[in-house]
Amino acid sequence: MQATDLKPHAAKARYLSVALPPLAGFLLLIWGLIHHPLPWQGSLDWAPSLGLTFAVYVDGLSAQFLALITGIGALVFLYATGYLAGEPRQGRLFLILTVFMLAMIGVVIADHLLLLFLFWELTSLTSFLLVGFYHENEQSRTSARQALLVTMSGGLALLAAILLLGEISGGYSLQALIAQGPTLADDPRLPAALILLLVGCFTKSAQFPFHFWLPNAMTAPTPVSAYLHSATMVKLGIYLLARLDPALNHLLLWESALMSIGTLTAVWGAVLALRERDLKRILAWSTVSALGTLTLLIGLPNPGAGLAVAAFLFAHALYKAPLFMVAGNIDHATGTRVIDHLMGLHRAMPWTAMAAILAGLSMAGLPLSFGFVAKDLISVAKADAEVLTVVSYATLFVNAIAAAVAGIATLRVFGGPPRWPRGEAHEVSWRMALPPLLIALVAIEFEFLPGVADPLLGAAAIAIAPSLGVIRDIDASYPSGKVITATEITLLVGLILFLIWDWLHGLLQRIHWLDRIGPTACYELLLKQLTRVAAWQTGLLQRGRLAGYLSWTLTGLLALAIGASFAMHQASEPGWGGLLDWSTLVFADWPAQHWAWLTAAVLMIAGAAASMVLRHRMALLMASGLVGYGSAVLFLFTGAPDLAFTQFAVETALVVVAAALLPHYGAPPVLSNEPVLRNALLALASGAGVLLLLVHLFALPADAQLATWFGEASLPLAHGRNVVNVIIVDFRALDTLGEITVVMFSLLAALPLLGALARSVKREG
Amino acid sequence: MSLILALAIALTVAAGVYLALSRDLFRCIVGLAVLGSAVNLVVFAAGRFGPIQPPIVSAGAEKLAEHAANPLPQALVLTAIVISFALLCFSLVLGARLRQQSGSDDSNQLRNAEPLPADPVKPPVLD
Repeated sequence: MQATDLKPHAAKARYLSVALPPLAGFLLLIWGLIHHPLPWQGSLDWAPSLGLTFAVYVDGLSAQFLALITGIGALVFLYATGYLAGEPRQGRLFLILTVFMLAMIGVVIADHLLLLFLFWELTSLTSFLLVGFYHENEQSRTSARQALLVTMSGGLALLAAILLLGEISGGYSLQALIAQGPTLADDPRLPAALILLLVGCFTKSAQFPFHFWLPNAMTAPTPVSAYLHSATMVKLGIYLLARLDPALNHLLLWESALMSIGTLTAVWGAVLALRERDLKRILAWSTVSALGTLTLLIGLPNPGAGLAVAAFLFAHALYKAPLFMVAGNIDHATGTRVIDHLMGLHRAMPWTAMAAILAGLSMAGLPLSFGFVAKDLISVAKADAEVLTVVSYATLFVNAIAAAVAGIATLRVFGGPPRWPRGEAHEVSWRMALPPLLIALVAIEFEFLPGVADPLLGAAAIAIAPSLGVIRDIDASYPSGKVITATEITLLVGLILFLIWDWLHGLLQRIHWLDRIGPTACYELLLKQLTRVAAWQTGLLQRGRLAGYLSWTLTGLLALAIGASFAMHQASEPGWGGLLDWSTLVFADWPAQHWAWLTAAVLMIAGAAASMVLRHRMALLMASGLVGYGSAVLFLFTGAPDLAFTQFAVETALVVVAAALLPHYGAPPVLSNEPVLRNALLALASGAGVLLLLVHLFALPADAQLATWFGEASLPLAHGRNVVNVIIVDFRALDTLGEITVVMFSLLAALPLLGALARSVKREG
Repeated sequence: MSLILALAIALTVAAGVYLALSRDLFRCIVGLAVLGSAVNLVVFAAGRFGPIQPPIVSAGAEKLAEHAANPLPQALVLTAIVISFALLCFSLVLGARLRQQSGSDDSNQLRNAEPLPADPVKPPVLD
């Protein structure tokens, strides 16, 4: 309680208003659902030249998600005002939460796949900021980075999948893609697209082996966990899978991947929930498990599964969000979430206890709750699909653990004699007690007033499984009588698991090898290796030595030269034989000009060879000057007298400047262990590369276009007869200005250095 | 004939690279000068070694004669020669001052910008 204590009422009022946008969205959605039949669609040109449209399509599935995003969103925002009361940075949290909510809405209403991707990534980004909200805590930062890396890598896979799907179907409209459905199967690129798509969805929805980020993301503030990590964002993967299921469910790869990974995730999450003592992390693992169940259900081939997905999606959000809030309330009131220290809180926190029990009923799948309906539909769907016995038993086990977790979160924590670490536990403020209770009550109300929920669920189910037909009354279409025994067995097993929880926990805690080989360990290993590889290659490429950098640059250039020569070789007609026209070497036919060229070549070769072997500095300078003189002679006899005179002058001046500075350099040092052979090899290779390039260049016809243009334009446009001069001072005058600037700046830069040199010489002298 | 010139240019490039790779600062700078001449020649060669007639529009003519040399590479190379001269002079002064300050001709010893890393994994931290 800091700054806000001064003006508590003003602060309260200010932050209460943040819940208004989601509430308004929710009411607008309800109004729309009553007055306008689904689907709603519309489209706005965004970047027509790129084929991008802001296309919107809202059907039952989208509407269901919208209801969750805005409805639970409004209550989460309200809850957060209580949870974060006094937190100086809560304005930032609400801003990011609002951006997140808008991004979520964007994902579920987008019809254009790239638009969907854009919002999808925005949810990953905001999730990163929210998980790392307590950024002064290192654990929090690590978790945020983990969530970002996992979901963003998945996002990249999703982008690739979207591009592939767009190529395959010839467009980016989701509805068009779904309509094409079975015809897609013929394309050989489809399996690759499917795998990438699955990776994208599985990372987002925390499916095995990408599940580990979700429990770690529990370092986020509780409202964030309740909103992002139970009700909305982690269900995006499920959303996209469910959305595309009608188009892809005839494919074996799709079905088997969803069923196997879903089952594995459900069981794995359920088992790992047993290893935790932190109530929030227990709930997180059970969320992973529930997401696995949803994936499995989407993979089931029969249309009844669509209804089960829609119902369980709703039920899970409606019981898990309140349970997270309950965990947050307990944390607030007692300062701990570790279940060993908590007992008998019902007296101190009656409202929270009531919310917990109502939500727990639903989570356990007890009668009178919406969870009961969902579990029922799941059983029916599986019975209809005639799934493998393994999957059947796995679900029973998973549901039993869910029941046990519900027991932990309610009976164990709130029942029994009072015991908690802090002296006085008290009920939290109404802003924290009301939201979980309201959400949990809605779940109960759905069971008693099926008329409210059934149309929405029916519409969502039809979007997932179009062959389902219109559903008015879920209970009537799927009588629950025949699976009641399954529910009873689940509850019985759940009760046993609840009673032996501590024993099981101790048993699982001792399995340490699980930590060493699990996906978490793999992730950490990968991260560590990544930095090591980066360090290794940085050390290899960037040694901090001039010759090293030059070597790598030259190697790159050499590769370019060889590539260019190869390209020219493909383009030129004569092939290798035509390149080397030996007949030009017959001295007898040479005109005088060629003898001059030969002189130039000899001068250059002599200078080059001498400069390589000479160690004396003055001699080295002279040898290098010989190279310059050689090229000047060549210029003189190839119609470039201006160049020749400049080169003569420059070369002479350079030797003079260098000779004047020579005393500062002293005698040539004896540098031992210089890699002479390696340098010579690289030098030879560079020379060979240039030779290759030149030989190929000479074999190509010269392009005289520009030369002709300058030759024709020189007099009429620039009134000059010396075409080279005209180019320099007129056509490319700005270039020349730049050149003069460079010359001037190098003089300006050299002046202080010269001054320093002179001063130190004077001091020594 | 072009073949001999190509060979001469290639050898000059090799000599320039060899000198530039040297740890001796002075040789390194001379190497840059040699390499610069060679690269200028490569650019010039792109316009082909041809007629001895300079690219000047003769009196009375409206445009350049057919058999005149290619003016464009000449303009480019002329600029390059002057710039490389200026930069080489600067490099020579800089090298002299560096040597005076550090007392070494060995370019491997010049590590102010990139000190040797203390930790094999993390990159060095510059102050």
